[in-house]
Amino acid sequence: MAPWLSSGLVYASGLALTAGSITLLYIVTRTFNFAVASMATIGFYVAYSGVTLYGGLPYLYYPLVLIIGAITGVVCYYGLNRPLLYRKAAETTLMMSTLGYDLILLSVIQMYADFLTHSYKLFPRRVTMSLFDFELFGERAAAFILPIIAIAFLTILHIFLTKTKFGIAMRATIENPTLAGASGINSDRVYLVSWIISGGMAALGGSFIAMAMTGTPVMGMFIIPLMFAGAILGGLGNIYGGILGGMVIGLTEFAGVFILAQNFGPWVLGYRMGIPLFIMAATLLVFPRGLSGIPLAKIIRNLFRRKRGARA
Amino acid sequence: MLTVKNLNSGYGKLQVLYDLNINVPEKELTVIVGPNGAGKTTLLCSIMNIANVFSGEIIFGGEPLAGVVTHKLAQKGISYVPQMGNVFADLTVLDNLHMAGYMLSKAEVNDKSEQMTEIFPVLKAFIYRLAGTLSGGERRMLAIAMGLMKNPKLMLLDELSTDLAPIIAERVMVEIARMRDELGITILLVEQMAKRALEIGDTAYLLVSGEVRYSGKADSLLHEPELCSMYLGIKQASGKDADTKLSVLGEGSENS
Repeated sequence: MAPWLSSGLVYASGLALTAGSITLLYIVTRTFNFAVASMATIGFYVAYSGVTLYGGLPYLYYPLVLIIGAITGVVCYYGLNRPLLYRKAAETTLMMSTLGYDLILLSVIQMYADFLTHSYKLFPRRVTMSLFDFELFGERAAAFILPIIAIAFLTILHIFLTKTKFGIAMRATIENPTLAGASGINSDRVYLVSWIISGGMAALGGSFIAMAMTGTPVMGMFIIPLMFAGAILGGLGNIYGGILGGMVIGLTEFAGVFILAQNFGPWVLGYRMGIPLFIMAATLLVFPRGLSGIPLAKIIRNLFRRKRGARA
Repeated sequence: MLTVKNLNSGYGKLQVLYDLNINVPEKELTVIVGPNGAGKTTLLCSIMNIANVFSGEIIFGGEPLAGVVTHKLAQKGISYVPQMGNVFADLTVLDNLHMAGYMLSKAEVNDKSEQMTEIFPVLKAFIYRLAGTLSGGERRMLAIAMGLMKNPKLMLLDELSTDLAPIIAERVMVEIARMRDELGITILLVEQMAKRALEIGDTAYLLVSGEVRYSGKADSLLHEPELCSMYLGIKQASGKDADTKLSVLGEGSENS
């Protein structure tokens, strides 16, 4: 496996989850969640604390990462989002409130990093999580395991949204909250579950991303533009689009840097974030509604027609 | 069954309804008519706690509804079918029915869904189709079926004939009358197709600029030539048998 592909898959899996998290919350509660940055960093610190304090592989702590991430989501919902939604706050207000929550979480992360340093003599401010990984088929195991976990998580999410009563109720509420309420669906519960899922996804995504880059207390703040780029590239109206957008952004960053650095030298590394953002801008120019707005069925149908026409 | 007393309500700081008093008797079809902007939809939204109620009382089955959230109202037996967005376009017809019966048990939902496809056979053919792909008339049938899924005591129907071809609108009206006559459901119908609604209704209220201008027997309103022509676009034919020769000014366009 090419080195960029190995790290790129790990990174892209994490970005896909965080971009999906942003999209899910936006379509359900109209909230652009800036706190996704610190939620992701918390996910990384939960996995880091697990491996350094109790041993084992980072993967063992992912269920805990999900739980802690979900808790941060619940706190944000009850502490900020719910009161503002009930007061019919504007989207900007909802968005800025999550920025405030992000700063609170960032402070908590900084204090926790200091706590680990002073109490356990650890060095949590620059962490290479990949050191705790093992090799599989001559590659980092994360390159195989994390995409599988991400796909499994998304498959479960898809089944939840399409096959369960509550999942369908969530989709109904997303589409038409008034009619959903009139049907007896408790939108408050739908919003809460969205924050739980979204918090879990953000934290899990952060713990994935830390396997591909240096983990720091401000790791989330560093990559939040790319998380949002993934969500925007996906079209913001479709959770699957957001996930795909995150995956494309993550892979193009690693592939782009690798290709450009080989041809133009290592100075390109300093502009690595510009590559996926350029891809996002270019895609939106062609498909303004993002990846979820691409009429794939129509394109495939036309291709088949052309093939048939050529044969005839 | 439903009593609205001195209701003042609107959206945000904008007041739409002024001291409104309405009574909806049990197992009857009460019709609310009036020109555009009269506050007909706001009345239904106030009952469903979607609009802001500034003062006044809404009493359902002897119980005040102040502060009761929308999904709890559905649990109390009030079924609301909005004018627009009355089906979940991205869900299949079957999922729409299941969502409408969200509060019911699985067995009840299956039974009621089957019952709805018997009442509205057109839905059976499209049961796995996305509701967004149905025609206007089929959507209204689905919306009414969704309203009925909850075993409602009271149905609030908001301008179900809007944008429908006259023949389809007539079919919808027949279904509404049938729900009262055969299922014994209490109905509060807001309608712009005033003449037809007044013909099938028991009691009527004429709403103008957020106030009640007429209340009484539905068919009696049709014999108020001034109100009919001024607010409802219904013009009485001249002559001795004017009672039976009611013509509607622009029957098709009055729905707009």
